[in-house]
Amino acid sequence: MNEMGVTTNSAFLCLFTSASAFGSPIVQMAQQTVNTAIDSLSAALKSNIIPNQEYFLQGSILDSSVEVLLHRLRGLCDNVDTTLETFHDHEMCFSIRGPNNAQPALQLRVRRSLDHNGMPMQLRYIGQPEIGDKSRPTVLRNSIDIGTSNTVVEFLTELGCRKDFEYLAKGYMFRKGRMKITVFKVFKIDETRKMSGGAFESLTALTHSYLVELSVLAPSGQDAIADDMRCFAEQLRPLVQLEKIDYKRLVHGP
Amino acid sequence: MGVTILLSYPVPENKTGPQTVDLLIKRIGALGAVQSGQFLVDCETFSSGPTMGGPPRTVHVLHNSEQPAAVFALLESPGPPPKTVPLVADGLFDLLMLKMSSIYASKKQTRMEARGTRFEIADFLVKIGTVTMSSNFKGVLVEVEYRPCFIAGNCWELMREFMQSFLGSVVQNTPPPYFQVHNRLNDVYQPLDTIQQYLDHFASYRKVAGL
Repeated sequence: MNEMGVTTNSAFLCLFTSASAFGSPIVQMAQQTVNTAIDSLSAALKSNIIPNQEYFLQGSILDSSVEVLLHRLRGLCDNVDTTLETFHDHEMCFSIRGPNNAQPALQLRVRRSLDHNGMPMQLRYIGQPEIGDKSRPTVLRNSIDIGTSNTVVEFLTELGCRKDFEYLAKGYMFRKGRMKITVFKVFKIDETRKMSGGAFESLTALTHSYLVELSVLAPSGQDAIADDMRCFAEQLRPLVQLEKIDYKRLVHGP
Repeated sequence: MGVTILLSYPVPENKTGPQTVDLLIKRIGALGAVQSGQFLVDCETFSSGPTMGGPPRTVHVLHNSEQPAAVFALLESPGPPPKTVPLVADGLFDLLMLKMSSIYASKKQTRMEARGTRFEIADFLVKIGTVTMSSNFKGVLVEVEYRPCFIAGNCWELMREFMQSFLGSVVQNTPPPYFQVHNRLNDVYQPLDTIQQYLDHFASYRKVAGL
């Protein structure tokens, strides 16, 4: 060890043997404590920066007219420089029962891309939708999106979740500012024709139409974005009527 | 992320925990290590309630300040057969566990954390941490990472020699039990392996009654 090395080391040791905390900036930086992840999350929640609210509108369009809609969206949206952005996703819906059966079961969705096998899977918690009254332009629901490793399905199964249903969604994705517009077809999965590696051989379409969804993920309290969404939805009329759909009315029937 | 070995350093009879940590810091300082911040690894445990049916399932949620955007969750399912399912997720996974608090309750008193200082010395990263469980001192954990290599079998000898230079005979001549499980010495090392080593050590500290 040369002279320089000895000098540095003894100075370094002095930093630790001295009782006082103040001194060189290195010691001060070294003594900054690390915040726990829970503390950072609580701070983020308090300052309202976590995008856990989803504003959304839905509509549908027949297969025969979807090309016209895609053309109009290409004119209006941002991400269409070269080709249309497509997606081919497999979504599974799980639910887990609470302690008393009176409580509604907690629903969790796992979505994975069939086009890009290496990408993380998406775990999503969606709360009860708030339809609101006429003054509210969009449906509002609590939504937590979590990227996960590919062990999430096994994890949820062992956690006690039961798979309710699954489907394939294949279509196009558009973006305009913060808004995401998806135009996709829902396919039923034929269990008997599942190939190895998670691919699906043949798909049965559920309807002769495409589902159109307009959504924005934002922290709570940013209701102005709902008005922007309504204005955008107006531009797609009369091709597709994007509106608030009340699921409870659909379930109970006319 | 390089290969990381986690060792529990036994506190000698005549010394306290902080004194042991200071001693290790002096030794690593003498080798020329440079202090570079603090680190924190914590573990919170959630247990399924009786309404789930069957033996209770446990979820350990761990955070490592080395991977600040990730949350590691390890689910211990009694089976049969008993297995541990790992999950690496975004920071928002903690929010989801909060939402499930009625199904999986957190046992706040078993929250464990390893906190201490990070040292950089050439290609190694050494972390000397104090393990506490609800503010009770449990032990001293030393984490040594050899950054250039991610296959444990290729650098075990090098790491052993380095660790023995400042930890002495506490370091065994054979790889730690974690790496002796099926072919782990030849697998690519992942941050999840570090977390699983922490969990194994935390579990053994929990079993030791009051220190």
